[in-house]
Amino acid sequence: MATVHLQANHAAFTDGVRELEVDGATVGAVIDELATRFEGLGPLLREGSSVAIDGELQPKGTIYAAVGPDADVHFLAPIAGG
Amino acid sequence: MTATENPPSKYKYVGTRPVRHDGLDKVTGKARFAADLDLTGQLRGAIVRSPHAHARIVSIDTSAAEAMPGVKSVVTGADFPAIDPSDSAHDEAVNNIARDEALYVGHAVAAVAATTMEEARAAAAAVEVEYEVLPAVLSIDEAIAEGAPIANSTNRTLFTGDTEPSNIASVGPFQRGDVDAGFAAADVIVERTFTTKAVHQGYIEPHACVADVGQDGKATIWASSQGHFAVRSKTAKILGWGTDKIKVTPAEIGGGFGGKTTIYLEPIAVRLSQKAGRPVKIVMTREEVLRATGPAPASKIHMKMGATKDGELTTIQGTLHYSNGSAKGYAALTGAMSIASYKFPNLDLMAIGTVDNTPKSAAYRAPSAPQAAFAIETLIDEVADQLEMDPIELRLKNAVVEGDPTAMGAPHPKIGFIETLEAIKNSEHYNSPVPEGAGRGFGTGFWFNIGEQSSATVNLNEDGTATVITGSPDIGGSRASMALMAAEELGLDVHRITPIVADTESVGFTDITEGSRATFATGMAVVNACRDLIEQMKERAAVMRGVAADQVAWIDGAAVIEGPPSEGADPVSIAEITAAAKMTGGPLTATASLNAAGAGPSFAAHLADVRVDEETGQVEILRYTAAQDAGTAIHPSYVEGQMQGGSAQGIGWALNEEYIFSADGVMQNAGFLDYRMPVASDLPMIETIIVEVPNPSHPYGVRGVGETGIVPPIGTLANAIADQTGVRMTNLPMSPPNVLKALNER
Repeated sequence: MATVHLQANHAAFTDGVRELEVDGATVGAVIDELATRFEGLGPLLREGSSVAIDGELQPKGTIYAAVGPDADVHFLAPIAGG
Repeated sequence: MTATENPPSKYKYVGTRPVRHDGLDKVTGKARFAADLDLTGQLRGAIVRSPHAHARIVSIDTSAAEAMPGVKSVVTGADFPAIDPSDSAHDEAVNNIARDEALYVGHAVAAVAATTMEEARAAAAAVEVEYEVLPAVLSIDEAIAEGAPIANSTNRTLFTGDTEPSNIASVGPFQRGDVDAGFAAADVIVERTFTTKAVHQGYIEPHACVADVGQDGKATIWASSQGHFAVRSKTAKILGWGTDKIKVTPAEIGGGFGGKTTIYLEPIAVRLSQKAGRPVKIVMTREEVLRATGPAPASKIHMKMGATKDGELTTIQGTLHYSNGSAKGYAALTGAMSIASYKFPNLDLMAIGTVDNTPKSAAYRAPSAPQAAFAIETLIDEVADQLEMDPIELRLKNAVVEGDPTAMGAPHPKIGFIETLEAIKNSEHYNSPVPEGAGRGFGTGFWFNIGEQSSATVNLNEDGTATVITGSPDIGGSRASMALMAAEELGLDVHRITPIVADTESVGFTDITEGSRATFATGMAVVNACRDLIEQMKERAAVMRGVAADQVAWIDGAAVIEGPPSEGADPVSIAEITAAAKMTGGPLTATASLNAAGAGPSFAAHLADVRVDEETGQVEILRYTAAQDAGTAIHPSYVEGQMQGGSAQGIGWALNEEYIFSADGVMQNAGFLDYRMPVASDLPMIETIIVEVPNPSHPYGVRGVGETGIVPPIGTLANAIADQTGVRMTNLPMSPPNVLKALNER
């Protein structure tokens, strides 16, 4: 299972949990699983987050990016540029 | 001067400095910007803008304007479809043209198209708008004050589920470790509050567009932007149209720096054109640009930092307020996230974005990072002072390397921060004495860089030349970098390649040129298309030589036959292959599209010598050196140009620039005489050191270089001023009156 790392603002929906194991083959599947476990977290992850997998920043909005069984998945605040 | 990890000789074209393909047109004035375009029957548009910082629009009477000479069409917010405030496009839509509420002085409320500019302006003045003036909020402090009036009735704090209007746009805590324990372990603790004012991106070309709606109801737009596909999608959304009804042709762009990632004029021009049945051109004045287009956010940052006597940073704690202006946004979150350069084992940051009645903020080169770096770099310098440590040694001791966490916890990929610090440490500038009576300051900066979607098509012409077609507007020399990467792949001289930026119907979808992404992501699309073409050319050469395709290798820009029966035959050149193309399968073309992952973060380190006139408060920059990790410099001259441009803009932000508002929210310095940006005579030659630690996620190691250079200058100059005067400047700008005031309070 992938290790998911959440930000402090995500923890408001998870009773303070910031790191957890999640089963999911893609970013979208991981989000779906987290949304099922924690009410209210889904929209924040889908619309208000960037994602890094094993330290590599993923393209914005990517839900089909593959998540390996031992991957480290960080949900980050949205990143843009100027 | 270039410090490299890879020897420059590794590539034949990448890393060279050819004359840019668009250079001649630009220096001779032949390049066509949006304002240069004139169509037959074209009308001129003028915008009616709110004189109030906050008001309810009671009614708009356009009848007098419509009856004026030359007037062909008038639009108001009522000519655009309603959009729900929960829609992510809402704020940009109502920023283009207000519906029920004017949110800042300069907010567009109506527009007129007439035969001449004079007629359009006269008619705009005749539009009668009845306002109910509402209480206005003009600063971060006013926005967060107890009982503050609501600045924007549609704003709800993002992702909290709150349903009540609020002046808070977003709240984001970032935490790791135990900050109390971190401070307990510290021998030195420094703490200050920093304020910065809104500043403008200052592009030389005002926003401009021409829109022409045909009899078939389809709109063609020529626009100055950082992304014409985004102009198409945003315009379509605001009009309620399909994207198939809009074609956008990119004009040359006279600077954007993040400020042209959004739109202001195009939906209005299209609607005016549709109503009039004629093309409409709208060109902003400089005053409109300053009053009504996005500045970078004002900020108020309180920061506290601890370190051991050995110089190990133990903890950081702070609250970062950023003003988004009149709309919601992520400015504060991005500012906190940009604190990513040092190994703070304990971290507690609260990012709070606010909403007020100043112009809606927009991205500006490494958005939100310069404000945060001002605080961080000042406090680190103060720690170095108190510990009597060399400021670079202190940073080297705490600098992040691959695998260390950012403020968000995600580990850094391969980065070159140490190498960048060492480049300054080893520079002639750092190892020269500080001029008599002057001060020397050092500072650093970080920026993420991003990937996103890009497309490229490469066509081989019948004489062996090539055309590289992309959808990334060239705002910083990207035509040259695309051509250089194509030259390296194909083995074709860079000036036998023509790089062009195509309209939305002539190339695949491409995201905005932002986040220093064009050379990284669009460059990868170009490389992939070239590699596809090489495979095609190998197959064609095999047909021409009567061998199997797997007997053909691509070496030095030609197909080389390996193995019998043709081994040793002359290589088949690109020109030979393209000349024979119609006999071997037809024209040679390849297209590649991608959504790029693996953008490489970039670090910069700056060094400045300044002399502060202690009688006037004026700061003169005597010498300035910028080092930055480019990954790989595809065209070193343009990398240096980006570093110098970012430095110059950061210097202006530090020393002079600020939005000055009256008590009723009117910007008092809406022109370049009073909004003082640095000019060439204000600056020394900015020396550059390109550091090259390649990004392993790009075929040539590109990181992107457009933004990071603006991050270090504010802290660097504040530290230089402190070195000479002993005064820590914490409020921007460090202009003569502000510096003099601080010196007098010593």
